[in-house]
Amino acid sequence: MSIEAINEQLLRAIGVGVALLDAEDFAFRFQNDTFKEWFAPQDDQDTLPKLLPEFDAAELKKQLLENKRFTAEVNFRKKRRTMIFAADFTLTTQDEGNFVVLVCQNISRIREMESMIDSYSLMVERNTREIKREKEQVEKLLLNMMPRSVYEEFKTFGVVTPKLYDPVSVLMLDFVGFTEMAASADPSVTVSELNDIYSAFDRIGEQFGCERIKTIGDAYITVAGLPDPTPDHCRAVANTAVRFLRYLERRNQGHPNQWRCRIGIASGPVVGSVVGIQKYVYDIFGPAVNLASRLQECSEAMEITTNLPVKENLNEQFLIESHGTRKVRGFDDQEIYKIRDSRKGVL
Amino acid sequence: MAEQTLFEKYGGFSAISRIVLDFYDRLLDNDEIGPFFDNTEMGKLVDHQTKFIASLLGGPSSYTDEQLTQLHKHLDIKDEHMDQMITELVGTLKDHGITNEDADIVAVELEARRGTIVS
Repeated sequence: MSIEAINEQLLRAIGVGVALLDAEDFAFRFQNDTFKEWFAPQDDQDTLPKLLPEFDAAELKKQLLENKRFTAEVNFRKKRRTMIFAADFTLTTQDEGNFVVLVCQNISRIREMESMIDSYSLMVERNTREIKREKEQVEKLLLNMMPRSVYEEFKTFGVVTPKLYDPVSVLMLDFVGFTEMAASADPSVTVSELNDIYSAFDRIGEQFGCERIKTIGDAYITVAGLPDPTPDHCRAVANTAVRFLRYLERRNQGHPNQWRCRIGIASGPVVGSVVGIQKYVYDIFGPAVNLASRLQECSEAMEITTNLPVKENLNEQFLIESHGTRKVRGFDDQEIYKIRDSRKGVL
Repeated sequence: MAEQTLFEKYGGFSAISRIVLDFYDRLLDNDEIGPFFDNTEMGKLVDHQTKFIASLLGGPSSYTDEQLTQLHKHLDIKDEHMDQMITELVGTLKDHGITNEDADIVAVELEARRGTIVS
């Protein structure tokens, strides 16, 4: 076989589409097998503009005159499939005249893959945004359940080591006659009002550096000195307690439902930890919690009861009345004090 | 831990992408259902197939029945088209190494949505 014959065979069988065009009217002079297979030209499609009516032949002519070369992406619809080719035109001058060599590469699959990657990335990005939003909601929820530093520990290690906080002050509050109110009034109204009040308590506590630990029905527990120690934890909870009462008094003036609470305050050590595995809650344990609860039981409606150690840490900012000594279950006899609002009547 | 989806089981996007493109080819070559895509632009069709396969295999896409109804109601798809589609899909999945059992699960999933696609 001669070199020319081998060349021609190669040219026919090669995986790129090759065609030779007349430079004047872009009539086909030669098409290799791949070109024919891709474009399957009909007998009457004997020029490039007839084969590809949407192709800009004028632009091709202009570019060939200027640069002798032209590259373009050609879309060709074969049955219902869009094929995309990278077409390279080169002007060549022979004895017989001017010709254009057209070399086509099929880049359909590349474009299809690009489309698929686009589609997939958009799906993934949308999912990522959704996951991020969900994560933020979960974080928000967990931050409602535990202090941030505890949450960070929980996130990093998956567990929370019980930690001793000493000293802290615990404020225990519960509502007088809540059970009757919940039973007699519309429960959804009661719960919605309770929600308002707890939200207000949270805001007030936050101002004084208190960390709300939990609510159990109508009982509300908040602590100062945890997770970060603070020297004036007694004052923080006393201030908070006084403002809880002020808030309720003002609220009761304009509402048909009267919310009256009893508050107990005690200081001492507590252990804070996440309890539970599936349904975990952050909780605190220790004598200060129990004592605050007992002292709260000593309060009449809209009263704040505390004991000597707390009283000794409060300055003249507070109006404090001694109420003698009282037996408190589980503890030594306690000197009882009532914290009054020094601004009472000023409002 | 959450149950592994077929999408994850068979190698995630890099493996599933081959199924998507093969299925795309088969649909276009099928003269029963291909005509539904006669006037669909390539990018749109590939996007459609990517989401379709991903949603069937538990990938990062999903359609509600309402969306499916909305998307197909103007197409006048008949039961025989749906049958063809399921056959092509199951054939493609099996050719790409998805077990008969898993391919059948996908077919059942698709079958469950027949009412939203066929008009």
